[in-house]
Amino acid sequence: MSQNQGVLLLRRQLADLNKNPVEGFSAGLIDDEDIYRWEVLIIGPPDTYYEGGFFKAHLTFPQDYPQKPPKMKFMTEIWHPNIDSKSGDVCISILHDPGEDKFGYERPEERWLPIHTVETILVSVISMLADPNDESPANLDAAKEWREDKTEFKKKVARCVRKSQETAWD
Amino acid sequence: MGNCLKQPNADDISLLRGAENNQTDGTDSSLLGPPPPYQVSGPMYHPTPNISRPVAQLTEEEQVKIAKRIGLINQLPTGVFDGTRKAKECVICMGEFMVGDTVRYLPCMHTYHRECIDDWLMRAFTCPSCMEPVDAALLSTYNSL
Repeated sequence: MSQNQGVLLLRRQLADLNKNPVEGFSAGLIDDEDIYRWEVLIIGPPDTYYEGGFFKAHLTFPQDYPQKPPKMKFMTEIWHPNIDSKSGDVCISILHDPGEDKFGYERPEERWLPIHTVETILVSVISMLADPNDESPANLDAAKEWREDKTEFKKKVARCVRKSQETAWD
Repeated sequence: MGNCLKQPNADDISLLRGAENNQTDGTDSSLLGPPPPYQVSGPMYHPTPNISRPVAQLTEEEQVKIAKRIGLINQLPTGVFDGTRKAKECVICMGEFMVGDTVRYLPCMHTYHRECIDDWLMRAFTCPSCMEPVDAALLSTYNSL
């Protein structure tokens, strides 16, 4: 697929999301001139520790999207086993390239597919917030707390939620 | 799900290989560093998914693998969309099939633009819609003939 079709596909998704917003997040471009860089605002899913939070994240699409997955990075501080606490990078299998998996953890259908869209990615990320995967941590301390010390985990998340409410509209 | 903890990846290794090759021409390759991306001419290939490499840097084994893959892809039937098929949209580019578009049919009967699916099949040999492995399906088609 040519680069141009990737641009068309991203434009189509942007128009679709503007016309028919999806519950749980909002999405737009960081810079109107650059279709490859998106900013999303994720609403902390109800009935999870993240409820009430507003988490900003950036999606960076490669030139050969949808053949390759975008990268996703939380800009708002967030404590979660599958999100790197310093960089904000999201570790989720659907954002990993397909094919041979050197660790043998992921089935092909759990990895990137060219039919994924901003919407399907965010649905997965929101479900990851509700249900962390502590077998594939990007934040070892958070994963350990999630398993062994829920009280401390909850406290750290609550702090992020409060902070996110203060900074969401900056 | 694999983990995302920091570790050297295969791309680092390919850069090292490039550096080794440079040393034969007498220049200090450590000063030059790796060549900037997107300046290499010729097509990029994906011997394994995370790795993109221009054709000149492929190992013999990778060349064989890619040639085999291209051979298999070329055995999949193609056609010209004439508007009579059920499929209306290529789910990869989300574009509607237009009369005259070249499409490719996978053994699982899913249909895509040839350009969209061929690029994907060079990276992973499964149908993006149903995850059916294309090579296994091809083989079973032969066995049933």
